[in-house]
Amino acid sequence: MAVYVIRRLVSTIAIMAMVGIFIFLLLRLAPGDPAAVMAGRNADPQTIANIREQLGLNEPLPVQFIHWARDMLRGDFGTSIFSGWPVLELISQRVEPTVSLGVMTLILSVSVGVTFGILAAWGAGRVVDLALTAFSALGYSVPVFVVGYFFIYVFAIRTQWLPVQGYVSIEQGVGPWFVHLILPTVALSIPYVAYLARIARASMLEVLSEDYMRTAAAKGASSYAMLFHHGLKNAGAPILTAIGLSFAYLISGVVITETVFNVPGVGRLVVDAITSRDYPVIQGVLILVSGLYVLINLAVDLSYTLVDPRIRY
Amino acid sequence: MPSVLRAQTAPTDARTVRMALGNLQIFDPHLAGTDPTVFHGLAIYDTLFSLDSKYVPQPQMVGKWGVSDDKKTYTFELRDGLGWHDGTPVTAADCVASIRRWGQVAPTGKLIMARAKGISKKDDKTFSITLKEPLGILTELLTELAAPVPFIMREKDADRPATEQVTANIGSGPFKFNNALAKPGANFTYDRNEKYVPRSDASDGYAGAKVAKVDRVIWDFAEANTALAALQAGELDFARFPPADLYSTIESDPNLVLQVMNKSGNNMCLRMNHLQKPFDNVKARQAMLHLIDQEAFLRVTAPDPRYRHTLTSIFGNTTPYSNDENTSWFKKGGDPEKAKQLFKEAGYAGEKIVILDPTDWAQASNASQLLASELRKIGVNAELASSDWNSLEARRKNKGPVESGGWSIYITDDFDHTQLPITASFLRASGDTDGGLKNDEFEALRLEWLDLDTLEERKLLARKMQRIWWDFVGDVRLGQMVTPIARRKTLTGLIEMPYIAFWNLQKVSG
Repeated sequence: MAVYVIRRLVSTIAIMAMVGIFIFLLLRLAPGDPAAVMAGRNADPQTIANIREQLGLNEPLPVQFIHWARDMLRGDFGTSIFSGWPVLELISQRVEPTVSLGVMTLILSVSVGVTFGILAAWGAGRVVDLALTAFSALGYSVPVFVVGYFFIYVFAIRTQWLPVQGYVSIEQGVGPWFVHLILPTVALSIPYVAYLARIARASMLEVLSEDYMRTAAAKGASSYAMLFHHGLKNAGAPILTAIGLSFAYLISGVVITETVFNVPGVGRLVVDAITSRDYPVIQGVLILVSGLYVLINLAVDLSYTLVDPRIRY
Repeated sequence: MPSVLRAQTAPTDARTVRMALGNLQIFDPHLAGTDPTVFHGLAIYDTLFSLDSKYVPQPQMVGKWGVSDDKKTYTFELRDGLGWHDGTPVTAADCVASIRRWGQVAPTGKLIMARAKGISKKDDKTFSITLKEPLGILTELLTELAAPVPFIMREKDADRPATEQVTANIGSGPFKFNNALAKPGANFTYDRNEKYVPRSDASDGYAGAKVAKVDRVIWDFAEANTALAALQAGELDFARFPPADLYSTIESDPNLVLQVMNKSGNNMCLRMNHLQKPFDNVKARQAMLHLIDQEAFLRVTAPDPRYRHTLTSIFGNTTPYSNDENTSWFKKGGDPEKAKQLFKEAGYAGEKIVILDPTDWAQASNASQLLASELRKIGVNAELASSDWNSLEARRKNKGPVESGGWSIYITDDFDHTQLPITASFLRASGDTDGGLKNDEFEALRLEWLDLDTLEERKLLARKMQRIWWDFVGDVRLGQMVTPIARRKTLTGLIEMPYIAFWNLQKVSG
């Protein structure tokens, strides 16, 4: 197991290096010029050229890459071309809102989604199953921004129960922090609830039709024991895989949700950076996110051993 | 529960203004030409001269000034009470360094530097600009609103190259940037500069007294739809870009109002590649003038008729130099048959015309799509090349044919009131602009502008320039639009000028 983990961690570094090279080349070869963005829409060509020179964008690509790779190896992610602030500082300022939103969404999605899936499997073919299946189809189909603006209209503008937008740090109080996260969390959770409910339902249905479940029923096991002790434990691996994949989808969902609810997270940081071609920020965020994603996959793989003792690494 | 939550989450008070102003990314106003950077500059920095509501320069930081008899030496004396946010006094050396820095990057600044023999301080409060030749419009150039604006910085900041960003955010203006509360991506906070000494004359445009009437302005980054929702809910006081399709919603809300800040608005302009077929031929360019029906284009760029106007003068609708010279032959536009005939006379033989379509700018994208449709109707092989604006900017530098990644047409805009020969990027015909627009006769007249002293002389020159422009068809204008902001009625005192200023704002009880 330890050897497996070390091997995976080493491969994570290799993957991040490849991601770094890919992102660097992709950004430099894609059309767009941060100097032109800085200078404004109708700037004269000489001004743009001067800014390019100052930013080092006129240097040959390999030279730019060597400078960047050297700094990265030292742990220096560079500074934003636009704000002039260190990239790591910019990212660290944005981590709390994104982690808060991501964790809240994951908790809500997993708890509600898996419960819905189990209930639907338990009542397969009955009203509860049909209702939850319909919800899943709808929840998975409606884009997050539509749900977001709908919630804003109902819960913020019409009823004025919740704030429209913004984020309050948990340091300023758990109450305001929680209140500002309710709408974005629920809006972002809906597709994941739907997705996890479908996966959990399918896994549970498969398990519930197994011989050992019939044996358990014949022995007089209660519905609770059937579903949660025998059923869920054996249906766990596909659900865990789905939760792991949800992380990847969550990253893209967070970008939209943060924009709709004006949450100053990593998603908005990278969108703004892409729009303005702020190369150091894009590179820094994507490398960290790719590393995080690889680590999450590793965690999911390791968690299989907890739900299925037959799995060994 | 809900009311308790609201109390926790809506801390707006009578001395704090919350404004959704867009994404402020660059703090150095000499470096960037973007609108948010100018708003930031107006809040924390000050200028030697400021434009009043009639766009006439008035002294701002300058107390007294004069010009020598030979009109080659200008002397400026700073008014009393000017100080930096770090507590040190503003000196003539700060002004000299700032003008030099701005002069490295701003087109207007470069004009001054080209004419200047020297810029030097006389004493702590006085400095002079000595010229090789008289420059009658020097104060206009020092007041120019076409970014980068000549904001005055501390000497130690201004001594940095203009292409190297100043991030200290220490100015001498009526508001101070609060670094401790800066939350990039969420909001920035500006506090009233309690030590600021305003001028004694009344506020008029950007000129006169800059009185900060609120303690704090919070710059919010919400995108347009979210900002409007927050405005409706009372979380914000001001939204810069309310979605045009929701104007009626705003007008039906008793707490909100639309207001036009930049009354002169923006001109949309169709730029052609003069170096490549078919627009290397003047007849093809004339065809575009006949083809464009401005009313039709304005309907897709500014759907509400209250906020749009047609435009035929290259000097805009609102400058003193706006005129009708040489416009009668195309004035009506919307003549596809004439356009078709002119394309034929230009030798057009079905070559592909690539229209750069910026999908992240709805107005220009809508206009690009309409243009493609209109061209196809008269048999022109028009193709849209969709991208974001940033990619468009990169591609428009390509002067080659469309087969080599070049382009034929793109649509852009600029302030109407800055359509002056020396400042307007649209009015350069020196060949170094995108698309290689070049006309030596026009360019010679453009440079004459610098040497004219009277309004009448300039008006006459403007007519001559416009006659030549529409002969060689430098570009095609698509109309003038004004864009209202939305605000809560409790927010008053907004200065109706192109860029948003924080002074004079106040909140009245609802």
